[in-house]
Formats: sequence, structure tokens, C-alpha cells
Amino acid sequence: MVLPLRGKVEKAQAYWVFVTPAVFLYLLVFGFPIVLSVILSLSNYNGGKMFGGDPWTIVGFQQYQKLVGDPNFWFALKNNVYIVLVSVFGQIPLGFILAYLIYRKIVRWGEGWQAILYVPAIISVIVLGIMWKLVFASNGLLADIMNHTYANAFMAGLNHIIQSMNGGFNITDDVVKQIIGLSNKDNLQAFSDPVSEIKDLIVTGGYSLQNIDSFKIDMTNLLSPKWSPDFMNKADLSMIPIMFVTLWCWTGMYLILFHANMQKIDDQIIEAARIDGASEMQVMWNIIVPNLSGVIANAAILCIAGSLNTFALIWAMTAGGPMNVTQVLAIYMYQNAFIGAPNFPLANAISMAIVAFSFVLIGVTLYIERKYGGKDA
Amino acid sequence: MKKLALILGLATLIVFGASAADKTTLKFYYYADATQAGYAEEMAYFDKFKAQNPDIDLQMEISTNQPYHEKLSAYISAGQIPDVFYLWPTSRDSSALIQDKKLAKDLSTVLPKDLLSKFSPLALNVNNQSSKQLSELPQSFTYTTTVYANTGLLKSMGLKVPSTYAEMKALVPKLKAKGIQTLLLPNADKWPAQSCLFSTISGRFLGDEFIDAVKAGNAKFTDKAFVDTLAFFQQMYTDGVLDKSNITMGYGDGPGVFASGKAAFFVDGDWRVAAYLTDKTTGKALIAPAVQKTDFDLINLPALPGEKNKGSVSAIAGTGLGINKDLTGAKLAAAVKLLSFYYGKEMQTLKWETGAYVPNRTDITTNKLEPLAVKLPLYYKTVAKTTYVLDGSLDPSVFNILNDGLQALGLGAKTPAAIAAEMQAAQDALAKKM
Repeated sequence: MVLPLRGKVEKAQAYWVFVTPAVFLYLLVFGFPIVLSVILSLSNYNGGKMFGGDPWTIVGFQQYQKLVGDPNFWFALKNNVYIVLVSVFGQIPLGFILAYLIYRKIVRWGEGWQAILYVPAIISVIVLGIMWKLVFASNGLLADIMNHTYANAFMAGLNHIIQSMNGGFNITDDVVKQIIGLSNKDNLQAFSDPVSEIKDLIVTGGYSLQNIDSFKIDMTNLLSPKWSPDFMNKADLSMIPIMFVTLWCWTGMYLILFHANMQKIDDQIIEAARIDGASEMQVMWNIIVPNLSGVIANAAILCIAGSLNTFALIWAMTAGGPMNVTQVLAIYMYQNAFIGAPNFPLANAISMAIVAFSFVLIGVTLYIERKYGGKDA
Repeated sequence: MKKLALILGLATLIVFGASAADKTTLKFYYYADATQAGYAEEMAYFDKFKAQNPDIDLQMEISTNQPYHEKLSAYISAGQIPDVFYLWPTSRDSSALIQDKKLAKDLSTVLPKDLLSKFSPLALNVNNQSSKQLSELPQSFTYTTTVYANTGLLKSMGLKVPSTYAEMKALVPKLKAKGIQTLLLPNADKWPAQSCLFSTISGRFLGDEFIDAVKAGNAKFTDKAFVDTLAFFQQMYTDGVLDKSNITMGYGDGPGVFASGKAAFFVDGDWRVAAYLTDKTTGKALIAPAVQKTDFDLINLPALPGEKNKGSVSAIAGTGLGINKDLTGAKLAAAVKLLSFYYGKEMQTLKWETGAYVPNRTDITTNKLEPLAVKLPLYYKTVAKTTYVLDGSLDPSVFNILNDGLQALGLGAKTPAAIAAEMQAAQDALAKKM
């Protein structure tokens, strides 16, 4: 049907009446902050009133140059890449496989598993971060378990030494040396002459066969090797607990996403394939994966964007420490904006870098999706 | 009937509208820890201020520790600085911009002269503030190193309070055998090691003159004396006096761990006394007053081997309230009223009684102090001299490296020389900018 001219004008007017408020709102909420962030990243603005306060000007790409030359930036980016990798190549495949197991009823109580695996995704990440921090802390659950094990081993060794005293309590240099042999160098570095100092401690400590249990406990406290989660202080290794928690936290969300989309696939296709002799693996690889490739690509985009923005979980777990070894770009930006001596242009330049990396990675994902064909179920 | 309702409605609107318009809104961003003793009483005092000043709409927002600084920094970055805020005298976190860019009023020009005259000259010395003006009125003088000693625990083990570092080191195996740490220093937040311990160590070994010389370009952090000072701090971990498991312990966890007897000594600022006193709303105290009296003491850091300034402690003008420099007219008058109330006799007496600090206001006396608060002025008497708190003296670009570096030293991840070199590079870059 061809509209008369008046009708076309009215249609155009109606279009703009409906669209303009939404566009205006969008520009206000999304467009303006992005443009402002770009401007600030190129400026020398450093707090106070933006208009009417101290004058500030556009100074060019100074902050970007500073970023490129800053090893902390590349370190934070590397940590972000770890998160991206565990998200894209961990959460998505794991979520997909779990969804398939439940969808094909290969595991029993599928709905129960679905609920259990999804629970972390609905709990506040701050709460989860604090919980896991308590697990990995130097005096946390993991250290407690390990130290208990070490203490038991030390105590067993000590019992053996006491038994070799044949019912007496004669502390000689040899006995002290044997006890020290159960310890490690970390415990001994506080002593300049471990044998004589520890022997003196034992002799003056009032220990005897009557209070032998007290002796054993005190020696265990003093000399039993201590385990501490030192890997949490080392570059790269410190990201392992964070990657583990990230995987644990969000896999359930992708499970739900994939499971919901799997239910749109015609059962008859799968049944036909099974009758033709296809294995579950072949069904998954040749029917389910191609049908869900579009969903997988979208999930990858969500993963990448989320991974580059990741902040709250790491902030609650480690706050980027110790010694900034768990710092990611969002924390690096936050620290430059709000902690210590703020540098707002640099913080905005970091946020622009996050956006740029997101675009690059999402572009790669879309390219792969187009090249290998993507469609929704 | 409809007309009557309309008239009544309009009248109500006019009355309430007019009363709202008459009020002066004062946005007050305050620093307080709701879990500490005295919080409820302090809030009750602010309620009293509100009742006494119905013409002021006091809009309070309260936060503590790092979140306080982060939010104030966000306010500054948005150009929405509160009307009245809590401020540090130097470039500490959110205070850096306010002090350095003079975003707060010079209180010596707006506060009543009779109020200022009641404060010690030390509080009014503008050289204590980065802005070189009275941007905040320091409510106290803060000793950032205070060693809290569990003397009851030591006594029960037949041990003595150490007066030298060697004596403290000798306690390590005896305490460790009983599963007790020697000197607790929670340092996940990075600043405590620098502010509460290293500043005093630096003052003892090098004195303020070394820091002044570095700032003037006449000495370097890479000089052997400073590298050795860093090395001594690292040695404290090797000796077992400090425990590296504390490096990832949050600042807020310290008082609880110490009060539970897991450490014989705890190093923190003098402000931490407040954490142990009785919370009058619950009647509970982390350390009961009777136990505070018999089993706990505040002592000076033991003498360090080869120290130059015996008995010195790092100290700095305390925190206080500041007023937004843009305030004028009724808002400024309301802000001055609030500060006059805050620095008044009643509020400052409460602050002392709740262990927050010993006030700089000189006319405060009270007989309601708990034992640990009574011990605070006695501890001050043991301080031979005060020296710089490094985050109050150095630029953030330099002291942030030191804060990170002290963590790294404890973990054995960096050498003293490497940290000194990084600090010197930052100091050189700063000198170039100036």
C-alpha cells in the first residue's frame, strides 16, 4: 500500500516523537560519559570543579604514552588475559558440557545439579570474594588444614625421638639436632646458633617426662614446618585461585543459557541421529554445537566484556594485592582514580584501554563466528 | 468541600514549603567507625546539634577507613565536595587534593577567635599542613607508632617487657613455642607498616634531617643509611619479631587478634586505644577495663641497635574537620556552627573518654577515662622526640612505592636496594616536575 504524502509525514513525525526521548536518554546515560571519559583522558584535569574551578586543558596523548611505558599496566592486562582465557575456554566449554549432560539426562537429578551449579551466580560477588579470601588467607582454612598435617607429621617424628630416649628425658646436642632435622630453614633463621639456643630453651623451659605433652606441643609450635599460601604472593601463580573462583562462580550461568537453548532443538533430529548409530559425543559435536554456535559466540562476547571489567570479586578477595600481583585493569583504574594521589586523566585512559581491548577481542570472536558459521538453535 | 480541600492543601504546601526553604542544608561527610566504642554517643551529640539548630538541615554521611577516602575522592572528581568533611593534615589519600589544591577554607579566618585560642599552638601551626594554611583544625596530635603490650601474658610466662630490640627478639622462641606471635602488624592495607612502624624506625636511624636532605636533593634514598634502614625492617621478619602471615591480614583484624592473646605486642597508632574500650550501648569491651588496668600497657618501641634518636616516635598533627572553600553566607555560618559544636568542650571530652584521642583543646578535663585511655598520656611522656610520619612528609608518588615495598620486603620479593632505587627514581621524577 502506498501512503499519501500526509501519511508519510505523519509517520515520520510519529517515528521521531517515539524515538527522540529514547535516543536522548541513551546519549545522556551512555554517550555523554564515554565522550567525557575520552576528553578527560586527553586532559590535565585533576579534580575540583570541572567548570569554574581551576582551568584545565587538552594536552594530547600524554597519559596513553605513560600507560604504554608503564609495566604495571601490562601486568594488569596480562592478569586480565588470564581471566578472559579461563572465562572463554573454561566457563563456556564446562557450562556447555554440563548443560549437555543434564539436557540428555546422562546424569540423574539434572534439575538439582542445575540449581546447585547456578547458586554462586546469584550470591553477591563481594560475599563470595570474602568467603574465598578466608579460604586462601595465610591463616585461613587451606593453611589450617596443611599446617595441621605438617604438625601431625612433626609430632610423629618427635614421638620417635622421645621413644629413642628409652624412657628418659636427656636432652643432648644430638637429640636437639634430631629435632631440628624435623624442622625447616624458615623456622631456624631466627636463631644464630640453633642447637645451643633450642637446647637452652628446652633445658630452661622446665620440661620433663611429667609434662612431656607440653614439651611436644611447644616444640611443634616452635619448629614444625609451616605452610603458607605463598603462591598468593607470586606473579601469575597468584591468579590461579582467582581463576578457579571465577570458573566456579559463573559456569552455572552459562549452563543455564546453553540448557535453555538446547531445549529449542528438535528432539527428532537427535533421535534420528541416535537411531543411525551416532554416539552422544557425535550428537553433541555435529548437532548441538552447530545449532548453538550463535549462542556460544554471544556467550563469548559476554565473557570477554565481563572479564575485562572484572573488579568486585578480585577486590573482595585480594584488592589487587599483595604487592599488586593480582591487579587487573579495573583495579588499576580504580586505584588511579580514587586511592592515594588521584590521577583522573590516567584513570580515564585506562578505562579507554579496557574498551579498546574489549572491541578487539569481541571483533575476533565475531570474525570467528562469521567464518565458521553461527546460528541460534 | 472540594474548594476547602484545595485551600487546605495549598496552605499545607506553603507552610511546609516555606519551612523547608528556611532551612540551610549542610552536607557533612564524616569519618567514624560504627563498631567502635563511643559511636552511639557521638551520634547522639550530633542529634543534639540538630535539635539545637532547627534552621540547619544537617545531612550526614558516615564512612571509615579506605572506603571513606575512596568516596571523598569520587566526590572531588565529580566536583561535588561536601560542605564539611573530615580531613588529614597532609597528602594522605583523599586529603591530598583538598590540601594541595587548597579546596578547604583557612579555618583561622572563619572560626571564632575564642574557640581557636583554646587550642594548643601545635594544633594551630600551619606548617603541619600541606596547604600551609589551617585547612582543618587538628583535634589531637597523633603518635603513629604505639606498641600495645599484653603485660599479663608476659607475666604469666615469666617474661619481661623488653626495652631493647635484642630483648624483644629473645622473646620470639619462647612466645612461638606457646603459639603466640611477638609483634603483630596487619599490613594488607599497605600503609600500616609505613605509618605505624617504618616511620619511627626511619626517624630513629636517620632522623628528619635525612628526609629533608632527600627532598632538597642533598641525599638519596639509595644512600647506604636508608637502604640499611629498609634492611633492618626486613630483618624484623627474618628474626621472627614480625610474622609474614600478617602481611595479608586486614587492618581491621588487628585489635581482635591482639585482644584474644594471640600476640604479645601489637603496633598501631595511638588512635587504636578506642578499639578496646567499653561500648556504652552494649556494655561490652574488647578488653574489659579491669583487665586493661592490670594486663595491658602502652609502651615505646624498644631501642633499636645503632639508633641515633633514642626514644623518638613518628607523630603528626591529627585529623579534623574542614570546610569547603566555596561556602558563603548562611551555609558558611552553619558550617562554622557545626565546627564550633564539634570542637566544643562536650564533644572533645567525649572523644577523650571514648579513647579516640587526647584532645588538642587545652581546657578539657575528665575523670571518666578507662585505664587504657589513662595510659595514653603516660605513654606520650616516654617519647623523647617526634619525627616525621613518612606519608605526611613525602609525596604520594614516593610513599606509595614505599608502602608496596614494605610488603615486598616482608615477603622477600624485593631487596632493600631495589625499593630504595624505585623511591629515588620517583623522587627524581618529582624534582623534575617542580
